[in-house]
Amino acid sequence: MFDDIDASELSYVGKKADRPDMLEKLTGEAVFVSDMEMPGMLHVQLKKSPYARARIKRIDAVKAAAMPGVRAVVTGDELDYHIGLYIVDKYILAKGEVRHYGEAVAAVAAETLEQARAAAEAIRVDYEPLTPVLHHMDALKPDAPLVHPDLGTYSYIQAVFTPKPGTNIANHTKLRKGDVDKGFEESSFIVEREYSCPSVQHVPMETHVAIVQWGRGDKVSIWTSAQSPFTVRNLFCHAFGLPHINVRVQVPYVGGGFGGKAGIGVEPLCAVLSRKAGGKPVKFQASREEEFSLLPCRSALTYRIKTGVSSEGKILAQHMTMYWDSGAYADYAVNVTRASGYSASGPYEIPNAWIDAYTIYTNKPYGTAYRGFGHVEFHWAIERHMELVASAIGMDPLAFRIKNALKPGSITLTGERILPSTGNVVKCIEEAARRINYGRLTDEEKARERKTGWKIGKGVAALQKAPAMPSYTATAVVLKMNEDGSVLVNLSLTDYGQGTYASIRQIVAERLGFSIEKIKVAFENDTDRDPYDWQTVASKGLLMSGNAAILAAEDMLKNAYAVAAEVLHANPRDLGHDADRVFLKHHPDHGVAFAAMAVGYALPNGSGIGGPIIGVGRYIAQGLSNLNKETGEGNPALDWTFGAHGMIVEVNEETGEYRVLKVASIYDVGRAVNPDIVRGQAIGGMIQGLGTAICEGYIYDQQGRLLNPSFTDNKIPTAKDLPLEIECAVVETPQIDGPYGARGVGEHSMISVAPALGNAIQKATGAELMHMPMRFEDVWRAIGKKEPVDNWITKSPVGSCRSAPELRKRD
Amino acid sequence: MVYEFRYLAPKTAAELAATLDDVKSDGKLLAGGTDLIPNIRNGMLKPRVVVDIKKYEGAGRLAFGSDGLTMGPAVTINDLLRSKDARERYPVLCSCAHELASHQIRNRATVAGNVVNASPCSDMAPALLCLGARAVLRSATGERVVPFSQFFAGVKKTVLAQGEFLSMIVVPAESAGTSGNYLKLKRIAGHDLGIVGVLMTRQDGRIRFGVSSAAPTPVLVDTVSEKDDPDEAARKVLAAVLPISDVRGTKEYREHMIGVYARRLFTEVK
Repeated sequence: MFDDIDASELSYVGKKADRPDMLEKLTGEAVFVSDMEMPGMLHVQLKKSPYARARIKRIDAVKAAAMPGVRAVVTGDELDYHIGLYIVDKYILAKGEVRHYGEAVAAVAAETLEQARAAAEAIRVDYEPLTPVLHHMDALKPDAPLVHPDLGTYSYIQAVFTPKPGTNIANHTKLRKGDVDKGFEESSFIVEREYSCPSVQHVPMETHVAIVQWGRGDKVSIWTSAQSPFTVRNLFCHAFGLPHINVRVQVPYVGGGFGGKAGIGVEPLCAVLSRKAGGKPVKFQASREEEFSLLPCRSALTYRIKTGVSSEGKILAQHMTMYWDSGAYADYAVNVTRASGYSASGPYEIPNAWIDAYTIYTNKPYGTAYRGFGHVEFHWAIERHMELVASAIGMDPLAFRIKNALKPGSITLTGERILPSTGNVVKCIEEAARRINYGRLTDEEKARERKTGWKIGKGVAALQKAPAMPSYTATAVVLKMNEDGSVLVNLSLTDYGQGTYASIRQIVAERLGFSIEKIKVAFENDTDRDPYDWQTVASKGLLMSGNAAILAAEDMLKNAYAVAAEVLHANPRDLGHDADRVFLKHHPDHGVAFAAMAVGYALPNGSGIGGPIIGVGRYIAQGLSNLNKETGEGNPALDWTFGAHGMIVEVNEETGEYRVLKVASIYDVGRAVNPDIVRGQAIGGMIQGLGTAICEGYIYDQQGRLLNPSFTDNKIPTAKDLPLEIECAVVETPQIDGPYGARGVGEHSMISVAPALGNAIQKATGAELMHMPMRFEDVWRAIGKKEPVDNWITKSPVGSCRSAPELRKRD
Repeated sequence: MVYEFRYLAPKTAAELAATLDDVKSDGKLLAGGTDLIPNIRNGMLKPRVVVDIKKYEGAGRLAFGSDGLTMGPAVTINDLLRSKDARERYPVLCSCAHELASHQIRNRATVAGNVVNASPCSDMAPALLCLGARAVLRSATGERVVPFSQFFAGVKKTVLAQGEFLSMIVVPAESAGTSGNYLKLKRIAGHDLGIVGVLMTRQDGRIRFGVSSAAPTPVLVDTVSEKDDPDEAARKVLAAVLPISDVRGTKEYREHMIGVYARRLFTEVK
């Protein structure tokens, strides 16, 4: 869809444009599912497992069912619906066995939340605790308990995934390129290291929430805080065996998702309660603690990398093994494994590569999509590794990166050839380095070091990501002209905060040639009203829906021209238009207003022609293919967005404390359709990336209980934690099939923030950090070459203040 | 868990004392609620009666007199920080107060609440200990005064007996003008509980250290003398604490940081 139009000729694309949701959100007028109340609505409380793994011997809910206000009590025994995106492995409520701490075993719907809570407390569950398997590396041992003994009987998407029944391996992704043995033989240096990171939470401001009404004739209405209304509908219909026509999913304003609301969540649970309560609408909103342990998180990762390098510093071979901690269910984690597998080297050319990526079941809350879809985690490893390899071979890390970076003509891991239009990672790296004065300290920085006694270090890390999506992913946009000639845009790519609708609005206004004030993008999404979109994930929204919007605008103009041709007795080829009317190019005074044709044109004698003007645009990804399951060869990438961060940090060598002084982030976005929104994404993602770099992570005791399921001990950055200076800039190498040359950048800002920080800390102090996050204590240990502390499954579950687990009486 | 409890708001201190005597162990006092309400929500506490301590006359009084600074049980952290006199006469108290949580929480949290919960990571305790502050404990049968150095009895335990409440904190006049600084190690720059916190004060050659998050109770160290060198000072502080390993940090790191802070403060606080 790329048209090589100079920026000076564009009216809206590339220019400043307000977000269409700005007023509603700033004034609090926007309505979220959290705000919604339905007549007769019931409220839910769950009974959750205090064990990581246990057999459910008996659930006694008789007393609860008879309590005041209670309209429905549901346990796993009475439900036989399996749910799963890629591997169908999960029940709505645990059945027979609980597989993680915080898993729901029973649910109550009552007239008030207090009644529901009282009833849930009255439910008695007898468990037989079983030994859990907690660490994903332990889960690979031959004698490890099986999280899913019935894995062999589950249905799954066979073209893409490879579960290993009889083990805890939910998926094994392989990639084989070139001859790795030969590559290592020819190498002058071989460096092998292991990197890791724990699970983290998305922490959207609005926790998961849904209202579901199971109406007469099995017609189901769902209001949900979700990223992908059509995926909710599709998976829901599959789970319950309902025709799609029976189910309507509506998504109003959404208070953040970050991947955690990409698929289906709490909707089936509300649905079974509503059905049992005779069709009353049922609302469930997760508490913050439930957000941490009932709902999914980001998977932990252990990543081993062995790299062979020539005497000139060119990578000749790389052996990569990823161990992804899926938790109790496969959800998106298997696809995170797949997408990370084919991108595993980062933006570097590896002539001979060998990758095994495993998704491993454990008895912990399960992993799902999270901004970056695996790339934040494995770029931590690969970009720390590039730094450590460079220092091992005595080369400057920046020069080493540039030497090995993907360039036009390079072949990716899956065999795709990089074109000049693919994007320019070298330019991103160089620009990031330039903006932090990489490689030296300025006089001002030297003076600061003398004054504070803290050491200043600078680091750079690069990144890449392509959308992880089915090869045939599709979307559509429908434009409807209103009576006054203004235009309503319907699409079901959701805008849950990322700002895509502002860009879509600019694209529609640009292509129609209309004033942007005449374009409205309908915010609340509705599967009964809007055309299909697969999911709002993967940073593919602007590219795909932007293209569909261009096609829809062209279709709308074609339809308007057809009516105008009849009105003006002209050939459509001789017509032109401005913001208000269609006219004869050679007699511009002879024309007809869009408003006069919008809902059908009335001739002077009263008879009508035309009809309501609409425009339809459909777009499907092109040129992509499934990957060969043995070699990983194929075309998985709709577009590659490259980028780099430069980071300046100051570190106290005595204590391990550090402060980020500056971050410079550069992305090759092809074309910044809305520069302010690109900047918003760049800053927001960078801070989210800093959170997982400096402090976030799930900590368990040895029984698998989550010790920090809230903001008391799972800190996220605040305004006070911002770097002193933030710069963001774009490189614009137009994407040939992107709308006006644009490509996605929604997730990328979060990727490689952590390794840029780790590299800068290493530069300042020599600390070799292999585990993210880098807490002050971790930095202190690394500087002092002390044994790193691995307390993510802690051996000392004692709290000094409030998180003493022996005092915890949560159910 | 949400459940029904009785809420009482006595209008006088005498009425409050009588109420506490009446409800006995069924009652919990509510001041700012920043600990009580989360604990009720978590199911860790389930009082049958919640007695609001803020509503009696004088509960929110912050005053300066011949005794020094006196604070009723409803004085919030921000009330203290807003007092120009407090900032000028007791800068140490205010530097600790400023490190407590976030501005929003400081609007609710009270000075008294921060000490009666006897959390090892109390930020106000180090200041009250170092300044020689006293707690006035009142009950239906009378009043007694306990110095904060004898106030904490164990993890989340104080010497408050059933039926007693902390009716006033007295920071003595003679400790006005004490200089000092509070160093608190946190996981983020924003609001957080301390991994460790060390306060050092100096007045008329007398040195005191107050340490939080480093032992079952906040700790007062008054054995350091001006003649010590920084290492000796740090050794004395470390001898008085007993840190543990938990989700916020290991014993080893806590001990290291207490030493670092003690040495730094000993050198810097004049």
